[in-house]
Amino acid sequence: MPEANSEGMILTKDEENDAEVRREDQDKINEFGQLNARLHEVRAQSKELKELLEKIDDASTELMMGSGSTVMLCLGDALFESTEEDATEFCEAEVERHQAALDGLDSEEGEILERMAGLKKVLYGRFGKSINLEEK
Amino acid sequence: MSDDAPIANISLESITEGSNPRGIPHTKFIEDIESFANSFNPPASPELLIGAYSDLYSKFKQYESQLSLKRANFEAKLPEIEKSIKLVQHLKSKKEADENVITRYNLADMIYAKAEVDCSQGIVNLWLGANVMLEYSYDEALDLLISKETLAKKEFGEITEDLTFTRNQIITSEVNISRIYNWDVRRKRSAAASS
Repeated sequence: MPEANSEGMILTKDEENDAEVRREDQDKINEFGQLNARLHEVRAQSKELKELLEKIDDASTELMMGSGSTVMLCLGDALFESTEEDATEFCEAEVERHQAALDGLDSEEGEILERMAGLKKVLYGRFGKSINLEEK
Repeated sequence: MSDDAPIANISLESITEGSNPRGIPHTKFIEDIESFANSFNPPASPELLIGAYSDLYSKFKQYESQLSLKRANFEAKLPEIEKSIKLVQHLKSKKEADENVITRYNLADMIYAKAEVDCSQGIVNLWLGANVMLEYSYDEALDLLISKETLAKKEFGEITEDLTFTRNQIITSEVNISRIYNWDVRRKRSAAASS
Protein backbone atom coordinates (compact mmCIF):
# COMPACT_ATOMS: atom_id res chain seq x y z
CA MET A 1 0.00 0.00 0.00
CA PRO A 2 1.58 3.32 -1.05
CA GLU A 3 1.66 6.54 0.92
CA ALA A 4 -0.61 9.42 0.01
CA ASN A 5 0.03 13.16 0.03
CA SER A 6 -2.04 15.90 1.60
CA GLU A 7 -4.44 15.88 -1.33
CA GLY A 8 -5.10 12.19 -1.01
CA MET A 9 -3.07 11.58 -4.16
CA ILE A 10 -1.21 8.32 -4.21
CA LEU A 11 2.55 8.68 -4.38
CA THR A 12 5.02 6.47 -6.14
CA LYS A 13 7.71 4.89 -4.03
CA ASP A 14 10.45 7.41 -4.85
CA GLU A 15 8.11 10.34 -4.28
CA GLU A 16 7.63 9.28 -0.71
CA ASN A 17 9.22 11.39 1.91
CA ASP A 18 10.24 10.27 5.36
CA ALA A 19 10.36 13.73 6.87
CA GLU A 20 8.25 13.77 10.00
CA VAL A 21 5.81 16.62 10.46
CA ARG A 22 7.09 18.56 13.43
CA ARG A 23 5.05 21.08 15.35
CA GLU A 24 6.86 23.95 13.67
CA ASP A 25 6.00 22.42 10.28
CA GLN A 26 2.37 22.16 11.31
CA ASP A 27 2.44 25.81 12.36
CA LYS A 28 3.88 26.74 8.98
CA ILE A 29 1.22 24.74 7.16
CA ASN A 30 -1.48 26.46 9.21
CA GLU A 31 0.00 29.85 8.52
CA PHE A 32 0.06 29.07 4.82
CA GLY A 33 -3.62 28.15 4.94
CA GLN A 34 -4.43 31.36 6.79
CA LEU A 35 -2.54 33.50 4.32
CA ASN A 36 -4.22 31.80 1.42
CA ALA A 37 -7.69 32.46 2.88
CA ARG A 38 -6.77 36.09 3.55
CA LEU A 39 -5.38 36.46 0.03
CA HIS A 40 -8.75 35.52 -1.44
CA GLU A 41 -10.52 38.00 0.82
CA VAL A 42 -8.11 40.79 -0.02
CA ARG A 43 -8.49 40.17 -3.73
CA ALA A 44 -12.30 40.13 -3.52
CA GLN A 45 -12.35 43.35 -1.52
CA SER A 46 -9.93 45.13 -3.79
CA LYS A 47 -12.00 44.12 -6.82
CA GLU A 48 -15.10 45.56 -5.18
CA LEU A 49 -13.32 48.78 -4.33
CA LYS A 50 -12.00 49.16 -7.85
CA GLU A 51 -15.52 48.86 -9.23
CA LEU A 52 -16.77 51.39 -6.71
CA LEU A 53 -13.98 53.81 -7.62
CA GLU A 54 -14.86 53.49 -11.28
CA LYS A 55 -18.47 54.35 -10.51
CA ILE A 56 -17.47 57.41 -8.52
CA ASP A 57 -15.14 58.39 -11.34
CA ASP A 58 -18.03 58.16 -13.81
CA ALA A 59 -20.12 60.33 -11.53
CA SER A 60 -17.34 62.92 -11.30
CA THR A 61 -17.05 63.03 -15.08
CA GLU A 62 -20.78 63.58 -15.40
CA LEU A 63 -20.59 66.37 -12.85
CA MET A 64 -17.83 68.10 -14.76
CA MET A 65 -19.98 68.18 -17.87
CA GLY A 66 -22.94 69.44 -15.89
CA SER A 67 -24.67 72.76 -16.43
CA GLY A 68 -24.48 74.14 -12.92
CA SER A 69 -27.97 73.16 -11.88
CA THR A 70 -28.78 71.14 -8.77
CA VAL A 71 -28.09 67.42 -8.76
CA MET A 72 -29.43 64.60 -6.60
CA LEU A 73 -26.93 63.09 -4.22
CA CYS A 74 -27.68 59.66 -2.84
CA LEU A 75 -26.91 59.26 0.84
CA GLY A 76 -28.18 56.25 2.68
CA ASP A 77 -31.56 55.38 1.20
CA ALA A 78 -32.60 58.89 0.26
CA LEU A 79 -31.64 61.39 -2.41
CA PHE A 80 -30.67 64.93 -1.53
CA GLU A 81 -30.69 68.01 -3.68
CA SER A 82 -27.24 69.42 -3.79
CA THR A 83 -25.16 71.83 -5.79
CA GLU A 84 -22.67 70.50 -8.31
CA GLU A 85 -19.79 71.86 -6.26
CA ASP A 86 -20.93 70.03 -3.15
CA ALA A 87 -21.45 66.83 -5.09
CA THR A 88 -17.99 67.10 -6.67
CA GLU A 89 -16.48 67.66 -3.26
CA PHE A 90 -18.35 64.65 -1.94
CA CYS A 91 -17.05 62.50 -4.79
CA GLU A 92 -13.49 63.64 -4.25
CA ALA A 93 -13.65 62.81 -0.56
CA GLU A 94 -15.07 59.38 -1.35
CA VAL A 95 -12.36 58.68 -3.93
CA GLU A 96 -9.67 59.65 -1.44
CA ARG A 97 -11.12 57.41 1.27
CA HIS A 98 -11.58 54.37 -0.95
CA GLN A 99 -8.26 54.85 -2.73
CA ALA A 100 -6.49 54.79 0.63
CA ALA A 101 -8.27 51.54 1.52
CA LEU A 102 -7.38 50.09 -1.88
CA ASP A 103 -3.71 51.02 -1.52
CA GLY A 104 -3.69 49.31 1.88
CA LEU A 105 -5.15 46.14 0.38
CA ASP A 106 -2.68 46.16 -2.49
CA SER A 107 0.33 46.35 -0.22
CA GLU A 108 -1.18 43.66 2.02
CA GLU A 109 -1.56 41.41 -1.03
CA GLY A 110 2.11 41.94 -1.83
CA GLU A 111 3.14 41.03 1.71
CA ILE A 112 0.96 37.91 1.73
CA LEU A 113 2.36 36.69 -1.59
CA GLU A 114 5.91 37.22 -0.42
CA ARG A 115 5.33 35.34 2.83
CA MET A 116 3.53 32.52 1.00
CA ALA A 117 6.39 32.15 -1.45
CA GLY A 118 8.80 31.89 1.48
CA LEU A 119 6.68 29.24 3.21
CA LYS A 120 6.27 27.30 -0.01
CA LYS A 121 10.02 27.10 -0.43
CA VAL A 122 10.53 25.82 3.11
CA LEU A 123 7.66 23.31 3.05
CA TYR A 124 8.40 21.90 -0.41
CA GLY A 125 12.04 21.67 0.59
CA ARG A 126 11.10 19.56 3.57
CA PHE A 127 8.25 17.46 2.24
CA GLY A 128 8.71 17.37 -1.53
CA LYS A 129 5.73 15.82 -3.24
CA SER A 130 4.20 14.69 0.06
CA ILE A 131 2.62 18.09 0.33
CA ASN A 132 0.52 20.05 -2.12
CA LEU A 133 0.29 23.80 -1.70
CA GLU A 134 -1.19 24.66 -5.06
CA GLU A 135 -4.67 26.03 -5.66
CA LYS A 136 -7.06 23.25 -6.62
CA MET B 1 -20.24 14.74 21.59
CA SER B 2 -17.63 12.17 22.45
CA ASP B 3 -20.07 9.29 22.50
CA ASP B 4 -20.22 8.80 18.73
CA ALA B 5 -19.95 5.16 17.77
CA PRO B 6 -16.69 5.20 15.71
CA ILE B 7 -14.70 6.79 18.54
CA ALA B 8 -16.00 4.59 21.28
CA ASN B 9 -12.87 4.73 23.39
CA ILE B 10 -11.37 7.99 22.13
CA SER B 11 -12.88 10.96 23.88
CA LEU B 12 -12.91 14.45 22.45
CA GLU B 13 -10.55 15.49 25.24
CA SER B 14 -7.87 13.07 24.10
CA ILE B 15 -7.66 14.50 20.56
CA THR B 16 -7.97 18.14 21.54
CA GLU B 17 -6.06 20.28 24.01
CA GLY B 18 -7.51 23.42 25.55
CA SER B 19 -9.63 25.92 23.69
CA ASN B 20 -9.55 29.51 22.45
CA PRO B 21 -11.15 32.41 24.44
CA ARG B 22 -14.58 31.55 23.04
CA GLY B 23 -14.44 27.88 23.81
CA ILE B 24 -13.49 26.41 20.44
CA PRO B 25 -11.38 23.31 21.11
CA HIS B 26 -7.79 23.20 19.93
CA THR B 27 -6.86 20.15 17.87
CA LYS B 28 -4.05 18.22 19.49
CA PHE B 29 -0.94 18.02 17.38
CA ILE B 30 0.47 14.52 17.55
CA GLU B 31 4.21 14.62 18.21
CA ASP B 32 4.78 10.92 17.86
CA ILE B 33 1.99 8.82 16.39
CA GLU B 34 3.26 5.51 17.69
CA SER B 35 3.34 6.59 21.33
CA PHE B 36 0.09 8.52 20.88
CA ALA B 37 -1.67 5.37 19.67
CA ASN B 38 -0.17 3.40 22.56
CA SER B 39 -1.35 5.97 25.10
CA PHE B 40 -4.81 4.45 24.77
CA ASN B 41 -5.80 1.34 26.58
CA PRO B 42 -6.01 -0.91 24.61
CA PRO B 43 -3.74 0.84 22.00
CA ALA B 44 -5.88 2.63 19.42
CA SER B 45 -5.92 1.22 15.90
CA PRO B 46 -5.11 3.57 12.98
CA GLU B 47 -8.71 3.18 11.78
CA LEU B 48 -10.00 4.29 15.14
CA LEU B 49 -7.66 7.27 15.27
CA ILE B 50 -8.47 8.32 11.73
CA GLY B 51 -12.15 7.94 12.54
CA ALA B 52 -11.81 10.15 15.59
CA TYR B 53 -9.97 12.87 13.69
CA SER B 54 -12.38 12.70 10.73
CA ASP B 55 -15.19 13.20 13.19
CA LEU B 56 -13.47 16.19 14.69
CA TYR B 57 -12.74 17.45 11.18
CA SER B 58 -16.38 17.39 10.12
CA LYS B 59 -17.44 19.11 13.32
CA PHE B 60 -14.96 21.89 12.63
CA LYS B 61 -16.13 22.07 9.03
CA GLN B 62 -19.69 22.52 10.16
CA TYR B 63 -18.65 25.20 12.60
CA GLU B 64 -16.66 26.91 9.89
CA SER B 65 -19.70 27.30 7.67
CA GLN B 66 -21.75 28.64 10.60
CA LEU B 67 -19.08 31.24 11.31
CA SER B 68 -18.78 32.20 7.64
CA LEU B 69 -22.50 32.86 7.57
CA LYS B 70 -22.34 34.96 10.71
CA ARG B 71 -19.44 36.88 9.30
CA ALA B 72 -21.29 37.57 6.04
CA ASN B 73 -24.18 39.00 8.10
CA PHE B 74 -21.84 41.42 9.77
CA GLU B 75 -20.27 42.30 6.48
CA ALA B 76 -23.71 43.37 5.28
CA LYS B 77 -24.60 45.15 8.52
CA LEU B 78 -21.52 47.36 8.80
CA PRO B 79 -22.10 49.36 5.59
CA GLU B 80 -25.70 49.92 6.71
CA ILE B 81 -24.54 51.60 9.91
CA GLU B 82 -21.93 53.53 7.98
CA LYS B 83 -24.63 54.79 5.61
CA SER B 84 -26.72 56.04 8.52
CA ILE B 85 -23.76 57.80 10.05
CA LYS B 86 -23.03 59.60 6.81
CA LEU B 87 -26.61 60.71 6.48
CA VAL B 88 -26.78 62.16 9.98
CA GLN B 89 -23.45 63.88 9.41
CA HIS B 90 -24.86 65.43 6.25
CA LEU B 91 -27.91 66.72 8.14
CA LYS B 92 -25.69 68.09 10.87
CA SER B 93 -23.46 69.95 8.43
CA LYS B 94 -26.56 71.43 6.82
CA LYS B 95 -27.77 72.59 10.19
CA GLU B 96 -24.45 74.22 10.90
CA ALA B 97 -24.59 75.95 7.53
CA ASP B 98 -28.11 77.11 8.39
CA GLU B 99 -29.55 75.44 5.33
CA ASN B 100 -32.54 73.22 4.83
CA VAL B 101 -32.37 69.92 3.04
CA ILE B 102 -34.54 69.08 0.10
CA THR B 103 -34.77 65.36 -0.40
CA ARG B 104 -36.51 62.65 -2.37
CA TYR B 105 -37.20 59.86 0.01
CA ASN B 106 -38.45 56.40 -0.59
CA LEU B 107 -42.20 56.43 0.11
CA ALA B 108 -42.89 52.93 -1.10
CA ASP B 109 -41.25 50.62 -3.57
CA MET B 110 -40.46 52.59 -6.73
CA ILE B 111 -42.07 55.76 -5.38
CA TYR B 112 -40.04 58.71 -4.18
CA ALA B 113 -41.62 61.75 -2.55
CA LYS B 114 -40.15 65.21 -2.21
CA ALA B 115 -39.69 66.70 1.22
CA GLU B 116 -38.02 69.68 2.73
CA VAL B 117 -36.37 68.93 6.04
CA ASP B 118 -36.11 71.73 8.57
CA CYS B 119 -32.59 71.11 9.83
CA SER B 120 -32.70 73.92 12.37
CA GLN B 121 -34.80 71.62 14.56
CA GLY B 122 -31.81 69.30 14.77
CA ILE B 123 -33.98 66.21 15.10
CA VAL B 124 -33.58 62.84 13.51
CA ASN B 125 -35.45 59.59 14.15
CA LEU B 126 -33.57 56.35 14.36
CA TRP B 127 -35.17 53.02 13.64
CA LEU B 128 -34.05 50.79 16.48
CA GLY B 129 -35.72 47.61 15.32
CA ALA B 130 -38.55 45.71 17.00
CA ASN B 131 -40.98 48.30 15.57
CA VAL B 132 -39.47 51.08 17.64
CA MET B 133 -38.32 54.44 16.38
CA LEU B 134 -36.84 57.08 18.65
CA GLU B 135 -36.20 60.76 18.28
CA TYR B 136 -32.62 61.96 18.75
CA SER B 137 -30.66 65.14 18.36
CA TYR B 138 -27.99 64.91 15.65
CA ASP B 139 -25.16 64.54 18.16
CA GLU B 140 -26.98 61.90 20.19
CA ALA B 141 -27.79 59.99 17.03
CA LEU B 142 -24.16 60.10 15.92
CA ASP B 143 -23.00 58.90 19.33
CA LEU B 144 -25.42 56.01 19.24
CA LEU B 145 -24.59 55.02 15.68
CA ILE B 146 -20.86 55.25 16.21
CA SER B 147 -21.04 53.12 19.36
CA LYS B 148 -23.11 50.58 17.42
CA GLU B 149 -20.52 50.61 14.67
CA THR B 150 -17.66 50.11 17.13
CA LEU B 151 -19.46 47.18 18.72
CA ALA B 152 -20.24 45.60 15.37
CA LYS B 153 -16.61 46.01 14.29
CA LYS B 154 -15.41 44.38 17.49
CA GLU B 155 -17.73 41.42 17.04
CA PHE B 156 -16.73 41.19 13.40
CA GLY B 157 -13.10 41.02 14.48
CA GLU B 158 -13.85 38.27 16.97
CA ILE B 159 -15.70 36.21 14.41
CA THR B 160 -12.86 36.64 11.95
CA GLU B 161 -10.44 35.49 14.63
CA ASP B 162 -12.59 32.45 15.42
CA LEU B 163 -12.84 31.62 11.75
CA THR B 164 -9.08 31.72 11.33
CA PHE B 165 -8.69 29.60 14.44
CA THR B 166 -11.26 27.06 13.21
CA ARG B 167 -9.55 26.84 9.82
CA ASN B 168 -6.26 26.13 11.57
CA GLN B 169 -7.90 23.29 13.47
CA ILE B 170 -9.28 21.92 10.21
CA ILE B 171 -5.83 21.92 8.64
CA THR B 172 -4.24 20.34 11.72
CA SER B 173 -6.89 17.60 11.69
CA GLU B 174 -6.32 16.96 7.99
CA VAL B 175 -2.58 16.73 8.43
CA ASN B 176 -3.03 14.41 11.41
CA ILE B 177 -5.28 12.13 9.39
CA SER B 178 -2.83 11.80 6.52
CA ARG B 179 0.08 11.33 8.94
CA ILE B 180 -1.71 8.52 10.75
CA TYR B 181 -2.52 6.94 7.40
CA ASN B 182 1.09 7.10 6.22
CA TRP B 183 2.36 5.87 9.56
CA ASP B 184 0.08 2.86 9.22
CA VAL B 185 1.36 2.22 5.68
CA ARG B 186 4.98 2.27 6.85
CA ARG B 187 4.20 0.10 9.85
CA LYS B 188 2.45 -2.55 7.79
CA ARG B 189 5.25 -2.49 5.24
CA SER B 190 7.97 -3.08 7.82
CA ALA B 191 5.84 -5.79 9.45
CA ALA B 192 5.57 -7.52 6.05
CA ALA B 193 9.31 -7.16 5.43
CA SER B 194 10.29 -8.75 8.73
CA SER B 195 7.92 -11.71 8.48
